[in-house]
Amino acid sequence: MKIKVIPVHEAVGTELAHDITEIRPGEFKGAAFRRGHQVCDQDICHLQKLGKNHLYVLELDEDDIHEDEAAAVLATALAGENVVWDEGPREGKIKLRAAVDGLFSVNVPALAAFNMVEEVMCATLHTGTLVQKGDLVAATRAIPLVMKRAPVERAAAIARAHGGILSVRALRRAKAGVIITGNEVYHGLIQDRFAPILAQKLEALGSAIHVLRYAPDNADAIRDAVDEALRQGADLLLVTGGMSVDPDDVTRAGIAAAGAQAIHYGSAVLPGAMILTARIGAVPVLGVPACALHHKVTVLDLILPRILAGDEIGKTQLALMGHGGLCRDCPQCAYPHCPFGKGC
Amino acid sequence: MKDFETLLAESAEAHGHLCPGQVIGVRMAMLGCRLIGLNDPRSPSQIKKLLVYVEMDRCAADAVAHVTGVKLGRRSLKFMDYGIMAASFVHLENGRAFRILSTEESRDLAAVYAPEVVGKSAQQLEAYRRMPDEVLFRVQEVVVPVREWDLPGPTRRKVACVRCGQVVRDGKEVDGPQGPLCIPCAKGGYFRPLRELSVGAALQEAAGGL
Repeated sequence: MKIKVIPVHEAVGTELAHDITEIRPGEFKGAAFRRGHQVCDQDICHLQKLGKNHLYVLELDEDDIHEDEAAAVLATALAGENVVWDEGPREGKIKLRAAVDGLFSVNVPALAAFNMVEEVMCATLHTGTLVQKGDLVAATRAIPLVMKRAPVERAAAIARAHGGILSVRALRRAKAGVIITGNEVYHGLIQDRFAPILAQKLEALGSAIHVLRYAPDNADAIRDAVDEALRQGADLLLVTGGMSVDPDDVTRAGIAAAGAQAIHYGSAVLPGAMILTARIGAVPVLGVPACALHHKVTVLDLILPRILAGDEIGKTQLALMGHGGLCRDCPQCAYPHCPFGKGC
Repeated sequence: MKDFETLLAESAEAHGHLCPGQVIGVRMAMLGCRLIGLNDPRSPSQIKKLLVYVEMDRCAADAVAHVTGVKLGRRSLKFMDYGIMAASFVHLENGRAFRILSTEESRDLAAVYAPEVVGKSAQQLEAYRRMPDEVLFRVQEVVVPVREWDLPGPTRRKVACVRCGQVVRDGKEVDGPQGPLCIPCAKGGYFRPLRELSVGAALQEAAGGL
């Protein structure tokens, strides 16, 4: 690449080699001039006000790539399922957006490998963030104005080798079977507060309670309630209560008796250490501990969207949630705009 | 070619242990063969078409040799003592050659590709299984000028060193003012001679604990 620097007052008639950014504090930040703009007399004063007393004139070699073209190559490779990017880079940067409502996922190792390539970058939202169509989820750029084509191609190849690094998966609309366990509720000694909470959480994700059953602290009764919910077409099972360590806590036994497989008890999240995950056939099963009654946000809020997006949640996934899995129990809960659950 | 897991198990057994270098070497060799279009390099029809230059004497070198079937004694394996985790794969019939380098960043990325695995070696081993080739390797298309002397096949020339009389094969002699010299006489060797003795005397001294 040959770079020529010319005084701005001699630049009339030349084409700008890159977007020129203007920042008016509190008012505007963006491109005052776009790449390729042909400088005319009237522009000189504006450019000088932006502190541009000299401009680049570039002659690219065959193996050079301009930042705008590089950003387009990178964005194309990064975007997986349901991720789109804004046409036309701005100031060498391309923004990537969700094409549908759903769960944004980042292949975190692949993103790290991508960003290990010199002079390219991609910054994203946390993986596991719920997004809406049109939301900004990531941005990418080549860092220098002009760079060699090889590292851009290498970064793009890394992204393609992973099938894209960014994706958004729409959540399925589950017909949830909810089994509320516990003698006190079953016998009417106390009022159930679990069902309304779960209904609200499910509805916020586009799902709903399809079957609601109550069962005493009896493994056979819990098994029967699970069987009944499945017979009625539930494709997601939430079984609440009885997940602790007391002799009366038999929910796990009831779930196992219903034929659950891949049972895993315990997560590295607080609140929510005593959650159970399992499957009966293809139906995900969650044993929801009582903490979901008392805390606005628990492990359930972290894994339910993922399950509805099609993730298998088991021992490894629950273990990896430990980093960032401690709720600070703030007086004013700001979730999801807080670190809880963002480390995995 | 056999599948990756089979080749890895065989290679680890031949090498003596399973290690991250074995994973890298097996995958490097599989990729190298694929790039030059040899799908079964150990088969009789392909074994003479391949030349491999390894640039390290580490675990990966044994894995490369195992997968490809190249051997030092068959002259299909060349050792270039560069200390670089790389190997070049040369198709002898058409000259196509690719140099594959193990990336340094793959070592740093092991922790993100296998975060649940404890221990550096075990984590690298698992991570190197998971990383795609694009992350694990860099590839260069290269030209490898192969001298006729370096090709597999029968010895092409023998000359005697004018200083020590040792016969030197395959053009490895160095021109000296009085005639050809072996490399130790011309440039010094990897050893320093102390004395010459008969085999019997050497064995006797060895048995005596000397």
